[in-house]
Amino acid sequence: MEEGEIFGLLGPNGAGKTTAIKMITTLARPTAGSIMVFGIDVQRAPQEVRQMLGFVPQAISVDGDLTGYENLLIFAKLFFVDREERKERILDALKYFGLADRANELVKNYSGGMMRRLEIAQALVNRPRILFLDEPSIGLDPYSKNQVIQQIQELNREFGTTILVTTHDMTEADILCDRLAIMNMGKIAISGAPSDLKRSVGGDVLTVKVTGQAAASLPAGLGSVVSSEQGTIKILTEDGEKAIPRLTEYFERNGAVVESISLSRPTLDDVFMKYAKASLQEEGTFRDARSVRRSFARHGR
Amino acid sequence: MINLQRSVSSALTIAEIEARKIRHDSTELWMRTVQPALWLLVFGEVFNAIRSSLLSIPGYSYIQYIAPGVLAQSVLFVAIFYGITIVWERDVGLLTKLLSTPSPRLSVVVGKALAAGVRGIFQGIMVFALALIIGINLRFDPLDVAGVFITAVLLAMCFASLSMTLASFLKTRDRMMGIGQAITMPLFFASNAIYPVSLMPVWLQYISKFNPLSYGVDAIRSMLLTGDYSTLPVDIFALLLFTLFFIACASVVLKRLIE
Repeated sequence: MEEGEIFGLLGPNGAGKTTAIKMITTLARPTAGSIMVFGIDVQRAPQEVRQMLGFVPQAISVDGDLTGYENLLIFAKLFFVDREERKERILDALKYFGLADRANELVKNYSGGMMRRLEIAQALVNRPRILFLDEPSIGLDPYSKNQVIQQIQELNREFGTTILVTTHDMTEADILCDRLAIMNMGKIAISGAPSDLKRSVGGDVLTVKVTGQAAASLPAGLGSVVSSEQGTIKILTEDGEKAIPRLTEYFERNGAVVESISLSRPTLDDVFMKYAKASLQEEGTFRDARSVRRSFARHGR
Repeated sequence: MINLQRSVSSALTIAEIEARKIRHDSTELWMRTVQPALWLLVFGEVFNAIRSSLLSIPGYSYIQYIAPGVLAQSVLFVAIFYGITIVWERDVGLLTKLLSTPSPRLSVVVGKALAAGVRGIFQGIMVFALALIIGINLRFDPLDVAGVFITAVLLAMCFASLSMTLASFLKTRDRMMGIGQAITMPLFFASNAIYPVSLMPVWLQYISKFNPLSYGVDAIRSMLLTGDYSTLPVDIFALLLFTLFFIACASVVLKRLIE
């Protein structure tokens, strides 16, 4: 990982994402090899490493029996934030995450989205150099999810915080991450920028419907015909959006009438399926879903 | 030096969490007074009718004799279930979060043990209040009372760390409920809380020598009742040893809970 980037760690349930995070955050012992965080060995100086990092675990882990303000205060103290700066940072963070008006309410009365935001607010108070988010948007409605994504991005932009995020939501990973890696069975299967990864599973596919005489070959640079039957032509090209006007012009110049063109691009889902399909297990998803539901139920009482 | 300061501050912060929670909701504290009240009002009053010097220290009534025992016992009951609290915190992710802060493991354990101590102090206050209401004649010398609170905190820390150590091996709430039930009564009965050790069969007398509760009760009794401090240094020293031992055990094994 490079400093200042948002890095996504994807993979099927049980691929080892959470374990990897636990090892980096010194919560579990590495089974082999060593891990360096900003040049410090996690096994040799675990406390120093933990001082530099923030961790938002998969299950909601704010304390429901304390108020929002108190939750931030406790963790500011545990991260040894200076007494003078503490209050200001906490109030700023609460305001920034839209929780200021409910700061003195017990967290168990918060909604799931608010709890998540409070957890990320903790990171804002402690200002870690690197923040680990284990499935930050799980169980959130689309609106809250969006808010969380935006706030993660702003955290990265404003404070230059390096962020590692795991998720099952490919759209989210695509929007959020500068680079990502797909893990499978404890190993990194592939890594790179989302756009590169998508390109690696194939380019854009244009499906063109034409009537009249269609040309069987295309001029160079436009793409290649994958299949052509009964006036439906599938064309593989590098940049679909740019190819559309040129294709239309080309077909019409050659005496065909273009009825419709649809563009389908490879998504991260395709990338994921390609590299992670080996071990998608029903059992894992079920267990995860249950534990998440349980944690929400407990906090949401 | 800075490390020590940080360790202490972390431990205090973790204990502060407990104090803040009690401030938000103190229902549990009040319910926790029911049991000592029953021991004093029912058990104590009934056995008080047996005017035997064997059941007490000569010169003191039975209800005077068991008041320190009831105090220590109520602290034990609060503290021994701290393992369940920590398993629950593991289940909801709070423990993972706590262990991912820069605080050393030792501070986490000491902090949690201190949190039990905070509750122990409340138990002490409640038993004192009950004693005043029922009119049990105790020595309410300020220094002695302070000493009793310190002993209560030590007892709470001792049993809370023992409980956390067990939790690290047992790992589930159900098992902790079971072990909690299984060890509180033996600890209680194999102590001098409600009858003198001299009444016990010899084998039990030996066991009670390894029971931290006995030392706690003896210390509290000497301060609240007799004013005879001859065994106090040994009591406090033994209690400290037990406490440090269990704290050390818990700090080493606590990590097992999240693995």
